Amino acid sequence: MIDIIFFTLAIFTLAGGIGTISFSQPIYSAMSLIVSIIAMAGIFALLSAPFLFLVQIIIYAGAIITLLVFIIMFLNVKNEHLPKEENKNIHLTLSAFLLIPLVLVSLKAFNTLPLKSMEIMSGDFGSIKLFGMTLFQGWLVPFELISILLLCALIGAVVYARKEDKIG
Amino acid sequence: MANSILAYVTLAMILFSTGLVGVIVRKNIFIIYMSIELLLNAIILLFVALARYYESMDAQVIALFVIAVAAAEAAVFLSLIVVLYRHKKSLNCESFTILAQKDIK
Repeated sequence: MIDIIFFTLAIFTLAGGIGTISFSQPIYSAMSLIVSIIAMAGIFALLSAPFLFLVQIIIYAGAIITLLVFIIMFLNVKNEHLPKEENKNIHLTLSAFLLIPLVLVSLKAFNTLPLKSMEIMSGDFGSIKLFGMTLFQGWLVPFELISILLLCALIGAVVYARKEDKIG
Repeated sequence: MANSILAYVTLAMILFSTGLVGVIVRKNIFIIYMSIELLLNAIILLFVALARYYESMDAQVIALFVIAVAAAEAAVFLSLIVVLYRHKKSLNCESFTILAQKDIK
Protein backbone atom coordinates (compact mmCIF):
# COMPACT_ATOMS: atom_id res chain seq x y z
CA MET A 1 0.00 0.00 0.00
CA ILE A 2 2.79 2.41 0.96
CA ASP A 3 4.55 1.45 -2.28
CA ILE A 4 1.54 2.41 -4.39
CA ILE A 5 1.18 5.78 -2.63
CA PHE A 6 4.90 6.45 -2.92
CA PHE A 7 5.05 5.67 -6.63
CA THR A 8 1.97 7.74 -7.39
CA LEU A 9 3.41 10.73 -5.53
CA ALA A 10 6.84 10.23 -7.10
CA ILE A 11 5.35 10.18 -10.60
CA PHE A 12 3.42 13.38 -9.87
CA THR A 13 6.53 15.03 -8.44
CA LEU A 14 8.69 14.15 -11.44
CA ALA A 15 6.00 15.02 -13.98
CA GLY A 16 5.57 18.40 -12.31
CA GLY A 17 9.32 18.98 -12.31
CA ILE A 18 9.70 18.06 -15.98
CA GLY A 19 6.73 20.25 -16.87
CA THR A 20 8.28 23.12 -14.93
CA ILE A 21 11.44 23.16 -17.01
CA SER A 22 9.89 22.37 -20.39
CA PHE A 23 6.86 24.69 -20.79
CA SER A 24 7.58 27.94 -22.58
CA GLN A 25 4.84 30.00 -20.89
CA PRO A 26 5.86 30.84 -17.28
CA ILE A 27 2.33 30.46 -15.93
CA TYR A 28 2.12 26.80 -17.07
CA SER A 29 5.48 26.19 -15.43
CA ALA A 30 4.21 27.70 -12.18
CA MET A 31 1.17 25.39 -12.23
CA SER A 32 3.43 22.36 -12.81
CA LEU A 33 5.61 23.51 -9.92
CA ILE A 34 2.54 23.58 -7.64
CA VAL A 35 1.71 19.98 -8.63
CA SER A 36 5.28 18.95 -7.87
CA ILE A 37 5.34 20.71 -4.49
CA ILE A 38 2.02 19.31 -3.27
CA ALA A 39 3.02 15.77 -4.30
CA MET A 40 6.25 16.28 -2.39
CA ALA A 41 4.25 17.33 0.68
CA GLY A 42 2.59 13.91 0.47
CA ILE A 43 6.01 12.28 0.43
CA PHE A 44 6.88 14.21 3.61
CA ALA A 45 3.80 12.72 5.23
CA LEU A 46 5.05 9.24 4.24
CA LEU A 47 8.38 10.09 5.91
CA SER A 48 6.74 10.83 9.31
CA ALA A 49 7.06 14.61 9.04
CA PRO A 50 3.49 15.92 9.52
CA PHE A 51 4.63 19.41 10.51
CA LEU A 52 6.77 19.79 7.40
CA PHE A 53 3.80 18.49 5.38
CA LEU A 54 1.79 21.45 6.67
CA VAL A 55 4.65 23.90 6.16
CA GLN A 56 5.22 22.71 2.61
CA ILE A 57 1.58 23.21 1.66
CA ILE A 58 0.99 26.47 3.54
CA ILE A 59 4.29 28.27 2.95
CA TYR A 60 5.54 26.81 -0.33
CA ALA A 61 2.36 26.21 -2.30
CA GLY A 62 0.34 28.80 -0.43
CA ALA A 63 2.72 31.72 -0.12
CA ILE A 64 5.83 31.45 -2.32
CA ILE A 65 4.21 30.08 -5.47
CA THR A 66 1.19 32.36 -5.05
CA LEU A 67 3.59 35.32 -4.94
CA LEU A 68 5.25 33.99 -8.08
CA VAL A 69 1.89 33.63 -9.89
CA PHE A 70 0.93 37.16 -8.82
CA ILE A 71 4.16 38.56 -10.23
CA ILE A 72 3.75 36.64 -13.52
CA MET A 73 0.20 37.96 -13.93
CA PHE A 74 1.19 41.46 -12.78
CA LEU A 75 3.96 41.79 -15.38
CA ASN A 76 1.51 40.85 -18.17
CA VAL A 77 4.24 39.38 -20.35
CA LYS A 78 3.51 39.33 -24.08
CA ASN A 79 4.66 36.49 -26.28
CA GLU A 80 7.22 38.67 -28.06
CA HIS A 81 8.91 39.46 -24.74
CA LEU A 82 9.64 35.79 -24.07
CA PRO A 83 13.14 34.68 -25.10
CA LYS A 84 13.28 32.54 -28.21
CA GLU A 85 14.47 29.04 -27.44
CA GLU A 86 14.21 27.00 -30.62
CA ASN A 87 16.15 23.86 -29.72
CA LYS A 88 15.06 23.87 -26.09
CA ASN A 89 13.81 20.27 -25.93
CA ILE A 90 16.91 18.84 -27.60
CA HIS A 91 19.15 20.76 -25.20
CA LEU A 92 17.10 19.63 -22.21
CA THR A 93 17.36 15.97 -23.23
CA LEU A 94 21.08 16.13 -23.95
CA SER A 95 21.96 17.80 -20.68
CA ALA A 96 19.74 15.34 -18.78
CA PHE A 97 21.86 12.53 -20.22
CA LEU A 98 25.01 14.37 -19.20
CA LEU A 99 23.82 14.47 -15.58
CA ILE A 100 23.28 10.69 -15.29
CA PRO A 101 26.82 10.10 -13.89
CA LEU A 102 26.16 12.61 -11.07
CA VAL A 103 23.02 10.72 -10.05
CA LEU A 104 24.79 7.36 -10.22
CA VAL A 105 27.71 8.56 -8.06
CA SER A 106 25.34 9.88 -5.39
CA LEU A 107 23.32 6.67 -5.42
CA LYS A 108 26.51 4.66 -5.05
CA ALA A 109 27.45 6.79 -2.03
CA PHE A 110 24.05 6.27 -0.40
CA ASN A 111 24.13 2.55 -1.25
CA THR A 112 26.73 2.01 1.49
CA LEU A 113 24.20 2.91 4.20
CA PRO A 114 22.82 -0.19 5.94
CA LEU A 115 19.27 -1.06 4.92
CA LYS A 116 16.64 -0.04 7.40
CA SER A 117 12.86 -0.07 7.33
CA MET A 118 11.37 3.37 6.63
CA GLU A 119 7.77 2.76 7.70
CA ILE A 120 5.67 5.55 9.16
CA MET A 121 6.65 5.87 12.82
CA SER A 122 4.15 5.66 15.61
CA GLY A 123 4.56 8.08 18.49
CA ASP A 124 5.12 11.79 18.17
CA PHE A 125 8.14 11.85 15.84
CA GLY A 126 7.75 14.88 13.59
CA SER A 127 4.91 16.35 15.63
CA ILE A 128 4.68 20.06 16.30
CA LYS A 129 5.60 19.65 19.97
CA LEU A 130 8.80 17.68 19.38
CA PHE A 131 9.66 19.93 16.44
CA GLY A 132 9.33 23.07 18.54
CA MET A 133 11.35 21.59 21.41
CA THR A 134 14.20 20.71 19.02
CA LEU A 135 13.99 24.09 17.31
CA PHE A 136 14.13 26.17 20.47
CA GLN A 137 16.59 24.02 22.42
CA GLY A 138 19.22 23.13 19.87
CA TRP A 139 18.72 25.61 17.04
CA LEU A 140 17.90 28.91 18.72
CA VAL A 141 20.77 30.95 17.24
CA PRO A 142 20.14 29.82 13.61
CA PHE A 143 16.45 30.55 14.17
CA GLU A 144 17.21 34.15 15.18
CA LEU A 145 19.63 34.50 12.24
CA ILE A 146 16.87 33.32 9.89
CA SER A 147 14.54 35.97 11.28
CA ILE A 148 17.19 38.65 10.63
CA LEU A 149 17.62 37.25 7.09
CA LEU A 150 13.87 37.48 6.46
CA LEU A 151 13.86 41.08 7.73
CA CYS A 152 16.74 41.95 5.38
CA ALA A 153 14.92 40.31 2.46
CA LEU A 154 11.79 42.33 3.30
CA ILE A 155 13.73 45.60 3.35
CA GLY A 156 15.56 44.66 0.15
CA ALA A 157 12.32 43.85 -1.66
CA VAL A 158 10.81 47.20 -0.63
CA VAL A 159 13.93 49.09 -1.75
CA TYR A 160 13.97 47.36 -5.16
CA ALA A 161 10.26 47.72 -5.84
CA ARG A 162 10.26 51.44 -5.01
CA LYS A 163 9.64 53.80 -7.90
CA GLU A 164 13.03 54.96 -9.10
CA ASP A 165 14.84 56.02 -12.26
CA LYS A 166 18.47 55.72 -11.31
CA ILE A 167 19.19 52.09 -12.21
CA GLY A 168 20.17 51.42 -15.82
CA MET B 1 10.84 -1.03 -2.04
CA ALA B 2 9.56 2.34 -0.89
CA ASN B 3 10.68 1.24 2.57
CA SER B 4 14.35 1.77 1.80
CA ILE B 5 16.08 5.14 1.80
CA LEU B 6 17.39 4.52 -1.74
CA ALA B 7 13.95 5.14 -3.26
CA TYR B 8 13.76 8.57 -1.66
CA VAL B 9 17.36 9.42 -2.54
CA THR B 10 16.74 8.39 -6.15
CA LEU B 11 13.69 10.63 -6.33
CA ALA B 12 15.57 13.54 -4.77
CA MET B 13 18.53 13.14 -7.13
CA ILE B 14 16.33 12.94 -10.24
CA LEU B 15 14.48 16.05 -9.11
CA PHE B 16 17.78 17.83 -8.42
CA SER B 17 19.04 16.94 -11.90
CA THR B 18 15.79 18.22 -13.41
CA GLY B 19 16.24 21.55 -11.67
CA LEU B 20 19.92 21.76 -12.62
CA VAL B 21 19.10 21.09 -16.28
CA GLY B 22 16.48 23.83 -16.13
CA VAL B 23 18.93 26.34 -14.64
CA ILE B 24 21.54 25.52 -17.29
CA VAL B 25 19.39 25.29 -20.42
CA ARG B 26 16.48 27.73 -20.10
CA LYS B 27 16.75 31.46 -20.78
CA ASN B 28 13.44 32.64 -19.33
CA ILE B 29 14.29 34.20 -15.96
CA PHE B 30 11.03 32.98 -14.36
CA ILE B 31 11.76 29.40 -15.30
CA ILE B 32 15.29 29.71 -13.94
CA TYR B 33 13.74 30.86 -10.65
CA MET B 34 11.36 27.88 -10.61
CA SER B 35 14.24 25.52 -11.35
CA ILE B 36 16.05 26.92 -8.31
CA GLU B 37 12.93 26.14 -6.29
CA LEU B 38 13.10 22.56 -7.62
CA LEU B 39 16.72 22.29 -6.47
CA LEU B 40 15.80 23.51 -2.98
CA ASN B 41 12.87 21.08 -2.87
CA ALA B 42 15.11 18.15 -3.77
CA ILE B 43 17.49 19.06 -0.95
CA ILE B 44 14.59 19.39 1.51
CA LEU B 45 13.39 15.93 0.49
CA LEU B 46 16.88 14.54 1.11
CA PHE B 47 16.97 16.14 4.57
CA VAL B 48 13.56 14.75 5.52
CA ALA B 49 14.45 11.26 4.27
CA LEU B 50 17.65 11.30 6.31
CA ALA B 51 15.74 12.59 9.34
CA ARG B 52 13.47 9.55 9.10
CA TYR B 53 16.44 7.23 8.52
CA TYR B 54 18.40 8.41 11.57
CA GLU B 55 15.21 9.12 13.59
CA SER B 56 16.51 12.57 14.46
CA MET B 57 14.49 15.77 14.48
CA ASP B 58 17.48 18.00 13.71
CA ALA B 59 17.37 17.34 9.97
CA GLN B 60 13.69 18.33 9.87
CA VAL B 61 14.59 21.62 11.57
CA ILE B 62 17.24 22.23 8.91
CA ALA B 63 14.61 21.51 6.24
CA LEU B 64 12.44 24.23 7.82
CA PHE B 65 15.39 26.64 7.62
CA VAL B 66 15.81 25.82 3.94
CA ILE B 67 12.14 26.68 3.38
CA ALA B 68 12.63 30.00 5.21
CA VAL B 69 15.66 30.84 3.06
CA ALA B 70 13.61 29.97 -0.03
CA ALA B 71 10.94 32.43 1.11
CA ALA B 72 13.53 35.20 1.55
CA GLU B 73 14.99 34.36 -1.85
CA ALA B 74 11.53 34.55 -3.45
CA ALA B 75 10.94 38.07 -2.14
CA VAL B 76 14.26 39.47 -3.36
CA PHE B 77 14.42 37.56 -6.65
CA LEU B 78 10.89 38.44 -7.72
CA SER B 79 11.25 42.15 -6.94
CA LEU B 80 14.52 42.14 -8.91
CA ILE B 81 12.71 40.54 -11.85
CA VAL B 82 10.03 43.24 -11.69
CA VAL B 83 12.65 46.04 -11.74
CA LEU B 84 14.64 44.44 -14.56
CA TYR B 85 11.54 43.78 -16.65
CA ARG B 86 10.47 47.41 -16.34
CA HIS B 87 13.82 48.53 -17.72
CA LYS B 88 14.51 45.92 -20.37
CA LYS B 89 11.01 44.77 -21.42
CA SER B 90 12.41 41.28 -21.75
CA LEU B 91 12.58 38.08 -19.72
CA ASN B 92 15.70 36.81 -21.47
CA CYS B 93 18.42 36.35 -18.87
CA GLU B 94 21.07 37.20 -21.47
CA SER B 95 19.76 40.79 -21.70
CA PHE B 96 20.40 41.47 -18.00
CA THR B 97 23.93 42.86 -18.20
CA ILE B 98 23.62 45.95 -15.99
CA LEU B 99 26.32 44.73 -13.62
CA ALA B 100 28.73 43.80 -16.39
CA GLN B 101 31.57 46.13 -17.35
CA LYS B 102 30.66 48.59 -20.04
CA ASP B 103 33.36 47.58 -22.50
CA ILE B 104 32.26 43.94 -22.56
CA LYS B 105 29.52 43.63 -25.12
